[in-house]
Amino acid sequence: MKENAMFDLIYPAATVAFFLLSLAYLRGCEKLQ
Amino acid sequence: MTINGWLQILVFFALILLATKPLGTFMARVFNGEHTFLDPVLRPAEHLIYRLTSVDETREMRWTEYGVAMLLFSLVSMMVLYLLQRLQAILPFNPQKLANIEPSLAFNTAASFTTNTNWQSYVPETTMSYLTQMAGLTVQNFLSAAVGIALAIAFIRGIAQREKDTLGNFWVDITRAILWVLLPFCLVGALVLVSQGVVQNLKPYDTATLLDPQGEVKTQTIAQGPVASQEAIKMWGTNGGGFFNANSAHPFENPTPLTNLLEMFAIFAISAGLTHTLGRMTGSPKHGWAVFAAMSLLFFVGVTVAYWAEARGNPLLAGTIQTVNASQSGGNMEGKEVRFGIANSALFAVATTDASCGAVNALHDSFTPLGGMVPLANIMLSEVVFGGVGAGMYGMLIYVVLAVFIAGLMVGRTPEYLGKKIESYDVKMAMLTVLIFPLTILIFSAISSVLPDVGTSQLNNAGPHGLSEMLYAFTSGTGNNGSAFAGISANTYWYNSAIGLAMLLGRFFMIIPMLALAGNLGRKKSVPPSLGTFPVTTPLFATLLVSVIVIVGALTFFPVLSLGPVVEHLLMQAGQTF
Repeated sequence: MKENAMFDLIYPAATVAFFLLSLAYLRGCEKLQ
Repeated sequence: MTINGWLQILVFFALILLATKPLGTFMARVFNGEHTFLDPVLRPAEHLIYRLTSVDETREMRWTEYGVAMLLFSLVSMMVLYLLQRLQAILPFNPQKLANIEPSLAFNTAASFTTNTNWQSYVPETTMSYLTQMAGLTVQNFLSAAVGIALAIAFIRGIAQREKDTLGNFWVDITRAILWVLLPFCLVGALVLVSQGVVQNLKPYDTATLLDPQGEVKTQTIAQGPVASQEAIKMWGTNGGGFFNANSAHPFENPTPLTNLLEMFAIFAISAGLTHTLGRMTGSPKHGWAVFAAMSLLFFVGVTVAYWAEARGNPLLAGTIQTVNASQSGGNMEGKEVRFGIANSALFAVATTDASCGAVNALHDSFTPLGGMVPLANIMLSEVVFGGVGAGMYGMLIYVVLAVFIAGLMVGRTPEYLGKKIESYDVKMAMLTVLIFPLTILIFSAISSVLPDVGTSQLNNAGPHGLSEMLYAFTSGTGNNGSAFAGISANTYWYNSAIGLAMLLGRFFMIIPMLALAGNLGRKKSVPPSLGTFPVTTPLFATLLVSVIVIVGALTFFPVLSLGPVVEHLLMQAGQTF
């Protein structure tokens, strides 16, 4: 249970981090224009 | 190979050919906001959705805003799906009392269904509750497919329009993709499937008493569920995630030869139709047909090789009869349904990997080395042969831009595509889209192959076949295909996390530069065609397009294919199998 609780923090946090990175990537592509 | 087998393949293709123009015209009308016969029913529903969600349908978005809306929508979709899986034990519609999904699997599945991949590291009937299947997976099947269609339409607008900064409205495009395209097709499709024997209920699983008990095993559990409704969108949305583990080989998902044909038709229909939508919206129907011709050529090459390899059988079984006769269908029948036979198994495998569907009616792991290489190579070519709904079209348009660019280089002129000059920024964005795909596949496969504890230990086979199993998993994930080669136990922390990340990279890191390219094309002036303009409506263009796709695919993946299926084929000829 304790392990699951830890992963319940890690996976959603990693997901949010990925989408923030995607937004930064989008901004980078825009700046190249 | 038999005449009967080829006739079935040609009938399938003829149906796709016949459907392309009407479907393409219909979708062009839908996304141009023109009148359609469904408007009296659907316009009020559409207005209601906009009123409830405060969407202004007349407001258009720049590519950046379109992209941000798509990313936020996908993030929320993924989080909701993760939560639904983690809480399914305390939620309703769970007659089998299935437990909550473990976090790494919930992450993998949430990424999988949000990205239209539908890779499944689990056995659905013993893992997912009816609520998770209906409100989570099926809903995502619609939403992720609608996002793909919306993005393809946005790209086509970028090509078609002149000196305009916007690409449409993301919320309007996905609403119309769901209401006008996916829902009607799936409603009819689900009813046809039910008429053929596909189940649709919320009953607890049945228990049957065996007529011939096997030791202590005297009963068999027969899984039930709302299958037809998921099956329809699984095919029309090129999602591919099965309600059951056996996917379209299960008689409750794909009970008859007719459903098999209709399911394959549904995989290709929308994507084929989008080629005509492209032609219509850009004012060059011949260009749409040229793209259709390039896709068709690659389709026939794939299906010919796969059908030949599987019908030829296994040379190591030379003492057995492997030719077609009255009592058996001949060829390599390992891992195939007898009721579908060689031709329909090979055709299904090719269709599902040409498109980014991922449904299977046979086990790709059991194909001969060359037969199994065809689905793998199809995904490696970025699934642009009709492709996933929307994703195939925008993937193909990236290659069109590259083909036009190369043609321009050959004659020493600034390349033009339908009146738009292709410049440095456009090619940079096209290359970013193309490169993220092999990078993700090859890096993750390489890492897994040098990690014995978490990587190679999960493979069922050694040698080149084991490499193919691992390579296929990351190719399928990154390509958002979702079909499994099988032979790999992927429900581990490493594979759930790595394939989950590969799916996200393969979806969103390809979409972002693609949208940037579309936005940039849309802002350009149109130049009139001149003597030096490379026409994109001719057989020469279709041939060049096919060449570019094959060369890019070969340059990036030939070395690893050599170490996998190619060397496995050569060793099989020498008498060694894995």
